[in-house]
Amino acid sequence: MPRILDVGCGPAKYPGSIGLDMNPATAADVIAHLDKGFLPFRDNSFDELRGEHVIEHVADIIATMEEFHRVTRSGGKIYLVTPHYTDFSSFRDPTHRWHLNTYSFIYFYPGGMHGRDMWYTKVRMKEVKLHVKLLKMWKALGFEFLVNHSRFFRQFWEHYLSFLIRGKLMEFTFEVIK
Amino acid sequence: MARILDIGCGRGKYPGAIGVDMSPASQADVLCDWTKTLPFGDSTFDGVRMIHIIEEVDDIFRMLAEAHRVAKNGAIVTIVTPHYTDHASYCSPAHRWHLSSFSFWFFSDKPAQYDYYAPANYREKRVRVELLRIWRALGFQFLVNRARWFRKFWEYYMSFVIRGKTVQWELEVVK
Repeated sequence: MPRILDVGCGPAKYPGSIGLDMNPATAADVIAHLDKGFLPFRDNSFDELRGEHVIEHVADIIATMEEFHRVTRSGGKIYLVTPHYTDFSSFRDPTHRWHLNTYSFIYFYPGGMHGRDMWYTKVRMKEVKLHVKLLKMWKALGFEFLVNHSRFFRQFWEHYLSFLIRGKLMEFTFEVIK
Repeated sequence: MARILDIGCGRGKYPGAIGVDMSPASQADVLCDWTKTLPFGDSTFDGVRMIHIIEEVDDIFRMLAEAHRVAKNGAIVTIVTPHYTDHASYCSPAHRWHLSSFSFWFFSDKPAQYDYYAPANYREKRVRVELLRIWRALGFQFLVNRARWFRKFWEYYMSFVIRGKTVQWELEVVK
C-alpha cells in the first residue's frame, strides 16, 4: 500500500493517508506547523505527498518544498493544488501570502525554464503533470481545454489573456529526483 | 462621549479619537508597536478604526483579535484597505497582503475549524467597495454595492477590467 502524507489535511483527509495539520480541530494524525522547523518524519518516508491549498500560506515556499522533497522517496510524487493568481480565491483568504502562476515552481526543475538550472535551491523535481482549471464560463467556451492542450497556448494565456480569461486552480504533480 | 481608537492614525487622526502610531511624526497620543499588542484594557472602546493598515501587518488575525479584545461588545471595527486590483495595493513595498471584498466573509458564518485561525468573533455588518471614478460614473460602483451576487460576479469575472479602489468593512464585535 502506498504511503501517503496529506499536508494541511484539514477536516477532509485524503483516504488512506497520514494527515498533518497545525490545527487540532481537523482530521490530522500529526499536529505540526510547517513554518516552525521540520516535518516530523524520516527521509524518504512517503511514496506520495499531497498539499491541497497549503503552499500559498507558508512563510517560505522554497524551504517548505525542500522539506516535502526530503520526506518523499526518489521517484515519489508531490501533488499540489493552489489558486492561480488571477482567481479571486487567491485574494479571498487573508492568510494567503503568495499569488502564484503556472511557472511558479521552475526553481526546482532540472534545466529551470530556459535550459539553465536555477541556484536558489539544490533540490530537484520534475513537473510530470499540470492541470489548470478556469472559471466555468471560460471552461464552457473551450479555453480550459486549450490552456491544458498545448504549452505554447498556456504561455500565451499567461502573458496576454489571463487577466480577462481568468484562471482558477492549478494542480501540479511533481516527481521527486534524488 | 464615545471612545474611539484610531490604530495607525498617522497625520489624519479621526476627530476625537485616541490615536496610536509607531511614528512620533504622527498625531498619535500613544506611541507603540501596535502590530503586536495594544496597550489598553479589555472592552475599553466603542469603536476601533484601522484605515489602510491591515494590509501591512504580519498577522491579520492577531490584529483583529487585539482589536476585538480592546473593543466593547457591539462596537464597530472599521477597516479600510486597497482592493487587490487597485494600483495602490502594489504601490507600497510594505503591503504584505492583497485583499478582496470577501476577505472577511467567513466571520459572519464561521466554520468550526476556523476558530483556530481567527478566534475573535465578529459579524460582518457592512461591506462597501469603491471603484475608480470612471466606473463609478458608469454606475458600476452602485451595482457592486447593491447586490452581493453582483459583487461576487464582479470579483470573479470583471474586476481586472472594472478595477476596484478601496474596500471598507464595518465589523461588529461579538463577545
